Amino acid sequence: MSLGVYVHLPFCPYICPYCDFAKWPMRPSAANAYLAALYAEIGREPVATAETIFLGGGTPNAYDAGTVAGLIGRLREHFPAPAGLEPEISVETNPELVRTGDFEAYVAAGVTRLSIGVQSFVPDEIRTLGRKHTPEQVRTVAEQARAAGIASVSIDLMFAVPGQTADSWRLSLERALALGVDHISTYGLTIEEHTPFDAWHTREPRAFFDDTREAEVYAIAIDTLEAAGFEHYEISNFARPGHASLHNANYWANGEYAGLGVGAASYRGGERSVHTRDLQRYIEAVTSGQPIPSESESLTGYRRVGEAIMLALRTSRGVDLREFAGRYGVDVREHYAPAIAEYCEAGLLEDDGRSLRLTKQGRFVANDVCGAFLSFE
Amino acid sequence: MTVKPEHPHRTLVASNIRNFCIIAHIDHGKTTLSDRLLEMTRTIEMRDMEDQALDAMDLERERGITIRMHPVTLGYKARDGQTFELNLIDTPGHVDFSYEVSRSLAACEGALLIIDAAQGIEAQTLANYHLAVEHDLTIIPVINKIDLPAADPERVMNEIEELLVIERSECILASAKNGIGIEEILEAIVARIPPPKGHADHLRALVFNAQFDAYRGVVSYVRVSDGELRAGSKFMSMAHERVYECTEVGVFAPQMRAVKKLGMGSVGYVMANVKSLGDIDVGDTLTEAHNPAHVPLAGYRKAVPMVYCGLYPNEGDEYGDLRDALDKLKLNDAALIYEPETSVALGFGFRCGFLGLLHMEIVQERLERNYNLDLIATSPSVVFRVTKTDGEVEMIDNPAKLPPMTLIDTIEEPFVKATIITPPDYVGTIMDATIARRGTLQNMEYLHDGRVILTFEMPLIEVIVDFFDQLKSRTKGYASLDYEIIGYREGDLVKLEILLNGEWVDALSFIVAREKAPNRGRALAEKLKELIPRQMFEVPIQAAIGGKIVARETVSAIRKNVLAKCYGGDISRKRKLLEKQKVGKERMKRVGRVELPQEAFMAVLRLED
Repeated sequence: MSLGVYVHLPFCPYICPYCDFAKWPMRPSAANAYLAALYAEIGREPVATAETIFLGGGTPNAYDAGTVAGLIGRLREHFPAPAGLEPEISVETNPELVRTGDFEAYVAAGVTRLSIGVQSFVPDEIRTLGRKHTPEQVRTVAEQARAAGIASVSIDLMFAVPGQTADSWRLSLERALALGVDHISTYGLTIEEHTPFDAWHTREPRAFFDDTREAEVYAIAIDTLEAAGFEHYEISNFARPGHASLHNANYWANGEYAGLGVGAASYRGGERSVHTRDLQRYIEAVTSGQPIPSESESLTGYRRVGEAIMLALRTSRGVDLREFAGRYGVDVREHYAPAIAEYCEAGLLEDDGRSLRLTKQGRFVANDVCGAFLSFE
Repeated sequence: MTVKPEHPHRTLVASNIRNFCIIAHIDHGKTTLSDRLLEMTRTIEMRDMEDQALDAMDLERERGITIRMHPVTLGYKARDGQTFELNLIDTPGHVDFSYEVSRSLAACEGALLIIDAAQGIEAQTLANYHLAVEHDLTIIPVINKIDLPAADPERVMNEIEELLVIERSECILASAKNGIGIEEILEAIVARIPPPKGHADHLRALVFNAQFDAYRGVVSYVRVSDGELRAGSKFMSMAHERVYECTEVGVFAPQMRAVKKLGMGSVGYVMANVKSLGDIDVGDTLTEAHNPAHVPLAGYRKAVPMVYCGLYPNEGDEYGDLRDALDKLKLNDAALIYEPETSVALGFGFRCGFLGLLHMEIVQERLERNYNLDLIATSPSVVFRVTKTDGEVEMIDNPAKLPPMTLIDTIEEPFVKATIITPPDYVGTIMDATIARRGTLQNMEYLHDGRVILTFEMPLIEVIVDFFDQLKSRTKGYASLDYEIIGYREGDLVKLEILLNGEWVDALSFIVAREKAPNRGRALAEKLKELIPRQMFEVPIQAAIGGKIVARETVSAIRKNVLAKCYGGDISRKRKLLEKQKVGKERMKRVGRVELPQEAFMAVLRLED
């Protein structure tokens, strides 16, 4: 089985108040030291074939396009695609930082997917989120990406933003569609601990959406994007046919992946591990040839199966019963019969004989449904 | 058994023995004074006693009350040169245990009545005083904590004269903390408390307390009133008419020390291979098997549980564990009773009877802490006396089992006389709270210091349902309460029932005054709405009286509960989050399709007025 490769580029021009990823404000010296460490880490990895490469952040394009292209070249050399296969290479992008010619350099390096961090087309919401781009900038960037020949262009949008309304959310969705993008991710705002939004939420919980309002805007996303010909292929992801993210699909299929960089996560040989989120420690460990401090866990038995079901149920493909029987040696239908019966009856789950999938209604309460399949053995 | 003709008894006086107890309102310094008496008489190193006497009593200690302690024998050489044996008999410090208090008092000739020099007479002081007077005890008033800046012994002496009709000259001023007045107290015990008097033969020994020891079985604490009790002799429990062979008698010195015999007037312990505390009750009279007394000592009664609740294992498969744990607790707690019962909502469990609320809480905590059980307790209830239209009388300890109203002629409920002592500012709010609980004011008396003694009669169920807490919060802790059961009275009562998602939840039923029922129903429905977490479907909550819905609330359905992002780095973290949510859910009790938290079953206790 092939691998997905994730590379974390943690620097940002500024820090967004809701974000809890491993990220730091851009400083050229740190960025250079980090890049060197990243190359060193790549060199330490066993050579393997990879079907997908994903550059995420942070803000990958906080590095200039030449640097990004160079890094991709190095990754492709170390993680070549299986013979006869074009790799999917994705890069996350902040629209404010795009310069003319960037995407041509990306395409030359093999980039096939561009994910633009937009969040909203409504100026008030953009401000609330602490972002600085204009809707106009986003339009230009999408056009440039298209013109440069990037095969799939994606936009991230955020709902349940304080101050958002059903109408303003509809506007963002429509603006994204009007740009002719191939893929849209819609994320409900999540309050992460120790972020400025967390403090705001504690201070003023009423400013934030309750689940009833959140369900309302989520439903608007589903209805609007499905009507525009997008497939709702994962809880937060919509794509035109042929444009789903293969790299992300690999996560939900419980496939293996190698994470490179600070705070990056890997899953290989049944072990999940996450590198330290401490930038200094990461750089020191890699450059001094020490193992990167990481936390890891290996799941076995029904704990592993439960996690696999939790992931699979996020997708429109769902839990393929035959695949699970072969891969995990478990008869899902039999082992989880009471939960399946209960949730099917409640209209949250459907069982067509070959697979189990969340219904549209089920996607709204996926936590409750997935929880029923987790076990502590 | 041949009954011998009655002989004229020889009367003895145990002139160098004094049996006494210490009675006090909570926190007036009973424990400290006991410690000082022990120190003064060099009875023990204090540390030893605490370790020994209070071991396994952490619950009581946490609650600041000692429920049971060993009696202690103090050797005291008085100023006149004579040596005395002073037996200090502990009394439980809570109204739940008033029967046990009365038995301890019955084992004494005198009592030290401790009153806090700053706080003065409180409700329990009065209750204890009246009990002591009923038992004909010589009372030595001790005004304690005279070292406090707020101490006002003059005022307290006025109260004592006024309320207890004791001359102020009899009061001893003391500070147990600083060792002031201790010797005076010891001298007063010797001088004022009469020595025990009794007959030389026809053993009668009062069991005033008992403890269960895992190795030796039941250790009964006795006061020998007549005759003597010898190791190796056979004695009979008069309440159960059962004969035992006495394997050991001894005294508390302060550790248990075996002796050959306990003579008339003395206090000690008896062991006789008694397996369970239920076999020889507190209040029982022990007599010689071969030469039995004809009449037991007065005052014995079976402990009567006043408060009942259902206890259910949260997990059905813990039912056996719960039964075993109750069996074990029962060995050491004769007052606890339990019977298997089944609830539609909660499955198999037990209906348990307790002396009062505190007793109930202690048993529940023991089960959870010492036996590691995860329990659901239903709201406490009292025992209702129901007379049906066919004349049959039923005692109902579970509201769910109340017969249909059409078959009921009358319902009677236990009433209490409640005594509340409070600063005058709070009289209004106390009146409000008691009247809202169907209390009627019987008497109102002003003390010298301006405080007021209020006497109410009110239904026990109203006292049980959060009255203590209400009183405490309404009076900022300044009022004190004591109560005693005064009998059954007819009430206009109805059963309030709760339906969740259209299904009757038997464990949430309760019995309430008709005029209050609609309000209570509304309040309970609102409270349940707060307590029941939102589920994936709407949960209607209905309160009904006699099939008629009086209140309705709805717990709205969860509309969205899904993690937005689940990529490579999120997977472990998100799985753990969902696992945690699942654990929370599994702790809930499923009734029909509805998940209920354990607190929901006690919701009726937490209703606002």
